[in-house]
Amino acid sequence: MSNFNKHETIISAGIDIGTSTTKLIISRFSLRNVAGATHVPRIEITDKEILYKSPVFRTPLQDAVTINVRGVQEIIRSEYEKAGIQPAQIETGAVIITGETATKRNASEMLHQLSDEAGDFLVATAGPDLEGIIAAKGSGSYEESGKGGRVIANIDIGGGTANIAVFQDKQLLGTCTMHIGGRLIEFEQGKVRTISPPVERLLEEQGYTLQVGDPQDAAAVEFVTTYMAEAMARILKKEVHAQDHVLLLGHEPNWKQPVDTIVFSGGISECMYRHASDEEQVARYDDIGIQLAEALLRNQSLQIFEWQEPIETVRATVLGAGTQTTEISGATIQVAPHELPLKNIPIYQYDFEADLEAGLSNFENAVQQAVALYDSAKEGQNFALYLSNLPYLGFRDVQTLAKAIVQIMNQRPRPEQPVILVIQSDHAKVLGQTLAALKVKQSIICIDQINVETGDYIDIGKALTSGVVPVVVKTLTFHTT
Amino acid sequence: MNEELIQQITKMVVEKLEAASGGQTSQQSSNEQKVQLFSQEPIGHLAAERPQQSPSGAVTFHSTTNEAKPQRNIATIKPKPTTAYGKPKAETTTPTEDQLAEYRKKTPARIAVGRAGSRPKTKTWLQFRLDHAAAVDAVYGEVPDELLDRLGLFQVHSKVADKEEYIRRPDLGRKLSDEGKALIQERCKTSPVVQIVASNGLSAKAIEENLEDVYLSLEQSLNNLNIDMGTTFYVDKGRVAVMDDIGEVLKPDVVVMLIGERPGLVSAESLSAYLCYQPRHGTIEADRMVISNIHKGGIPPVEAGAYLGTVIQKILKYEASGVALVQKEG
Repeated sequence: MSNFNKHETIISAGIDIGTSTTKLIISRFSLRNVAGATHVPRIEITDKEILYKSPVFRTPLQDAVTINVRGVQEIIRSEYEKAGIQPAQIETGAVIITGETATKRNASEMLHQLSDEAGDFLVATAGPDLEGIIAAKGSGSYEESGKGGRVIANIDIGGGTANIAVFQDKQLLGTCTMHIGGRLIEFEQGKVRTISPPVERLLEEQGYTLQVGDPQDAAAVEFVTTYMAEAMARILKKEVHAQDHVLLLGHEPNWKQPVDTIVFSGGISECMYRHASDEEQVARYDDIGIQLAEALLRNQSLQIFEWQEPIETVRATVLGAGTQTTEISGATIQVAPHELPLKNIPIYQYDFEADLEAGLSNFENAVQQAVALYDSAKEGQNFALYLSNLPYLGFRDVQTLAKAIVQIMNQRPRPEQPVILVIQSDHAKVLGQTLAALKVKQSIICIDQINVETGDYIDIGKALTSGVVPVVVKTLTFHTT
Repeated sequence: MNEELIQQITKMVVEKLEAASGGQTSQQSSNEQKVQLFSQEPIGHLAAERPQQSPSGAVTFHSTTNEAKPQRNIATIKPKPTTAYGKPKAETTTPTEDQLAEYRKKTPARIAVGRAGSRPKTKTWLQFRLDHAAAVDAVYGEVPDELLDRLGLFQVHSKVADKEEYIRRPDLGRKLSDEGKALIQERCKTSPVVQIVASNGLSAKAIEENLEDVYLSLEQSLNNLNIDMGTTFYVDKGRVAVMDDIGEVLKPDVVVMLIGERPGLVSAESLSAYLCYQPRHGTIEADRMVISNIHKGGIPPVEAGAYLGTVIQKILKYEASGVALVQKEG
């Protein structure tokens, strides 16, 4: 039985497997009932304490296109041991495969293996937009955007990609991802060792030649870093030139407001600000990272923005993944404990537009569309139905709604799967109980006060002592190349 | 007398009369200045004074006449804001309309509603009066019989004779009338696990708006949990502690009292659910517990009913309520 008055803690892990580095963070969240004694409880995360920060490891690779899964597992296992944590203790968190690593051949396979290794409720997630958002939360840009209405762009540059996320008043305005990173040209003993395909295309388009074996100080190398800084400034100003497309990964910048402040995070920002320079292991990566950082610092076009130093440089993403991805559901919910945790549940949003009758008349299409969207092969991929903008509901309205839900959920390709409902307003418990009273045969997972939309994926953790469930909302999965 | 002067004066008088009878504003010569001591235009943060989206019962105005705005010839000069020491005040940042809207969303309090001079705007003032009147109406209103019939509740009275006495004598509201005691003895199931009681308390409106949804949802919740329910009834002009009298007569394990809260200016229709494990004469207040703020703008009544079921389950498990329950729960 849920006890709302107890102070409760959960352990969260964040693991970031990037193009060049891998790091891990363990933190502890305190949960408390923040509602008054005479109110219905509301459980919130009231404190986040970082228990352990791993050193920055080189991401183990087997070859250019394969991640060394065993090597990654090895790092996680030994770091858990150093932190004094058993995988079973971890109740929430996120594994993020970022940058170019996500395009590696066995990325998806590795995520599944890691989920088993790293803890029962650890989310496997990736995607450039989400990466940028999480980095902005870890670097402090997100928090900062809540003060004083400035438009803040967080630019997280690692080995392979630059992930831009733009915020104002803690609202995401837009994202953009570019092929700008330290590891796009690598050196060995003063000579070029590798050149990544986007850089090769850029050099070709711009009429420069650079080959493996050329000296490190070739004019073409200088050109690449300078061009990247210039292109970054143009993208931030939304003046995308045709020749910049080669550096874009995915869509063009999609924010509308002009950017006021820029914050650099990620490995390149470490080269700028040297937050971790007192740590014993000083990274020597033998790539264009330092030159790129200098080019960005020197660039005149970037000087029109206000620059702000991040609170976390190279560990921004892992910090965001470990401490900023978990949300807590409403306290009055109805969940079937044996079905949890649930992972990677796609969301289908159904908007009632504050009119129950009109909403219900079209309700049947919702399931058909959700099935068409997520389970076109009818293989039984379940989904969560997100009910938003419900009007004020009386008891009889709830009955009508519950009956409609039962009816449409039975039209799924595999109707026996659990009925997963996410409700925007505070109605989860009564709806769950009404479904139970209707003696539905499926298990019911009915949670509320989480904001999601079609296209999101959620993970729902095991119910905690206070009866709430931790929820991790993911905005996108893999980027396709 | 100077003929010319007389002519001139007559002409001026006629002109004035003509102007007055024609309903036209008198034409003033261009070099004549109209003096106005006070500004006719509002000053201050105009952004803050834009009308907001009001809830139901909003009062709106529209002018019935077309008035030409008097032309001001003297510009009002706004004095520089000064501190007590006469120094100019430091520049403070004015919140934008977006920010004010954000603040308003966070609280039902009347913030950023603007002002007219040193007073609230008429609209704000009338809204305030309306809310105050609604609060008074809630206290003096009656629960419609039709609602009680629909839910199948019979009615008993406390020892209070009328509303005035109800307000002046809380002690009488805590006692069931003798007829009431006899009636519940006769009509109610004795020793039920859960006895639900409804009462208008200080807001009949709260019962009218929320009782049905809370009650039906609670009933469903208890059915799901297989918890036995007694015969529900309605106490007119009751206070929370009337449950002690009810406990003595019917001997239930748990009493749930759904009672109208003292109305305020934010909501006059807020309902509370008081719960107590085995209330009897001599029960102390620390053993009672409450889930308050049940209304449209607070916790939705249907959700409150569903939640109450699990609270009752917990009370039955620990055989305690209020502070004792928190202690037993550890």
